[in-house]
Amino acid sequence: MSLVADHPILDPTLAPPFPKGALPVLRNPQLRKNVAHAIDVIQAKRARLVAEKTDWQQLRSAASDLRTHALENLGAYLQEFETRCTAAGGHVHWASDAAEARRIVLDLLRQENASEVIKIKTMTSAEIQLNPFLEACGVRVFETDLAEIILQLGEQEPSHIVVPALHINRSQVREIFARTMGLKDLSDDPHALTAAARTYLRRKFLDIPTAISGANFLIAETGAVAVVESEGNGRMCLTLPRTMITLAGIEKVLPRFQDLEIVLQLLARSATGERMNPYTSLWTGVTPGDGPQNFHVVLLDNGRSSILSKPRERQTLKCIRCAACMNACPVYRQTGGHAYGSVYPGPIGAILTPQLMQLHHAQSLPYASSLCGACYEVCPVKINIPEVLIDLRAQVTDQERRSLGRFLDPMYLGLRIANLIFSQAWLFHAAQFFGRFGLGLFTRKDGWIHSLPSVGAKWTQTRDLRGLPGQPFHSWWAARAKEAK
Amino acid sequence: MSVPVQSRQQILDRIRAATQSVAKPPAELSGAYAALPRPYVRQGRLPKDARIRLLIERLREYDAEVVESTPQDLPSAIAAQLAASGKRTFVAPPGLPAEWLVPGFDWKIDRGLATPEIEPAEGVLTAAACAIADSGTIVLHHSAAEGRRVITLLPDWHLCILFASQVVETLPEYFSRFQQPPTLATYISGPSATADIEMTRIKGVHGPRFLHVILVHDEV
Repeated sequence: MSLVADHPILDPTLAPPFPKGALPVLRNPQLRKNVAHAIDVIQAKRARLVAEKTDWQQLRSAASDLRTHALENLGAYLQEFETRCTAAGGHVHWASDAAEARRIVLDLLRQENASEVIKIKTMTSAEIQLNPFLEACGVRVFETDLAEIILQLGEQEPSHIVVPALHINRSQVREIFARTMGLKDLSDDPHALTAAARTYLRRKFLDIPTAISGANFLIAETGAVAVVESEGNGRMCLTLPRTMITLAGIEKVLPRFQDLEIVLQLLARSATGERMNPYTSLWTGVTPGDGPQNFHVVLLDNGRSSILSKPRERQTLKCIRCAACMNACPVYRQTGGHAYGSVYPGPIGAILTPQLMQLHHAQSLPYASSLCGACYEVCPVKINIPEVLIDLRAQVTDQERRSLGRFLDPMYLGLRIANLIFSQAWLFHAAQFFGRFGLGLFTRKDGWIHSLPSVGAKWTQTRDLRGLPGQPFHSWWAARAKEAK
Repeated sequence: MSVPVQSRQQILDRIRAATQSVAKPPAELSGAYAALPRPYVRQGRLPKDARIRLLIERLREYDAEVVESTPQDLPSAIAAQLAASGKRTFVAPPGLPAEWLVPGFDWKIDRGLATPEIEPAEGVLTAAACAIADSGTIVLHHSAAEGRRVITLLPDWHLCILFASQVVETLPEYFSRFQQPPTLATYISGPSATADIEMTRIKGVHGPRFLHVILVHDEV
């Protein structure tokens, strides 16, 4: 049984526009229930732990200032990171775009003669669609985060950046594990399901000598990389293999080791509603006798430097990927993640994805928001998401205004005509006259219009329209003035 | 290697162009960094006893087991914990005091043990670098007394010895205590856990499922 009606596409170049992408979820009550349940749990935990932190707002503004400073001086800090990491025995590679990053990773795997690789959950690798590429090149990829295993074995797509399988419930996980691991008698108790994953992965950790990770933070001062996680699969991948390849967006850099005191206080509380995530690992290049002896970092641009060039949009790159914005978003709550047609869903996805695509794709995403501002309020690094959304909407509109296709767009034509009518009083009065006559045909006795034909139906499908009053305001006003005399 | 070098230059050029109007000149960068406001709580306010109580409370919230001891009684406290675990084979890092390796158990001292030798061990005993009361976090810098990362990862049961003098209240206090950044660090806040299935918290996915702490009152 398929869990979703249509298989979601998380490639912004191919995904349908947001309103269309949202339909399968809106029509699937089980999916909506799963999403709402998960979000309620995280939201409640987050609210409790944020409330106990008396200096939460100060931490947020310190984090915002720190991330802004790091981005404004990104060139200097990245080069410092490169120098330190190299001095500590790491190898730093630079990838302009997704294709180059994939090629670098594949070349490194080929040098190791690796036919299998274990992976720590990384959104950046999903962004560059690394897994399907490696599989196509003959490398078997084993995800090791529990949620990622569920998705990989169930051939599903992630719908959240912190809890990627939150749209799948326990009985669905049981079905996936029972089928793919050959465990007929598996129960749907989360303990049993987790134990099954532990057993399934244990040998993989011990036997596969090559691993791929993402990075939560890169430390310029020391060349260290930080990964935060809960399960210990990250520590396994960071400790047991011979070779580690870390894929990191160029924006992940922090100036100094001490800066972790700010972001680590914010990240787990915002992401999972914990005071601190169970495991945070920090390593610097290669340590003889401890952990992988070949260490590579691939620094990925893939559109980030173009975001950096725009002063208002630059703040998008402050993101530390906590997902608090999607948990707080009333739109995400209804649609889940797949509607966004990108590995980055929710409010941050709505601003990040179109920008990573340099507005060639995903133009519907800036509209996937009610602009209520809940995302900005919870963001631990104070990204003003509504501000960027509005700015992107303006850019999308400008783009449409320049295209010839605009003359076929009823919305565009309607607004042009409205513009003309509203600028001439006599036209406005004439329109009112004809409008009252025309709409009168559809107005019921109760004074409401319940359905309109043609394009008008787009409005009345989901809401009613008040019929026009018998007398327009300006003629009532004129009559009133006459009477007073 | 000409292609990657080209990308490096290309990316750095793009970043330079993008940040031209805001990037600080090299001579002013450290000054600008130092001027970043840090208005959050850096120094805790709890007296020592309350700080220790808070740590114990937080560790217990994570299902870690905590007992207290004095420096004199530490070896017998270790022996009691090991005996209560019902396990026999334990890994230990090479830098532990000899009296911690209490008799009656099979000790495997990690002087470069291969993974297959560590994997079957039932438990591990280590020291720690620091602990943060506010978040219930144990910090390992993987020194000779804390061990290589692998030994606190594969065994299912971890007994960690913490001294009261190592306990700070806030995370920023930890960072000011260690001005020299460690090359390796692991921050442990409770045993391995997941909430990936319906947000139900499950203890023990891949790391040790059982975390025991002996808190040693070494300050008067």
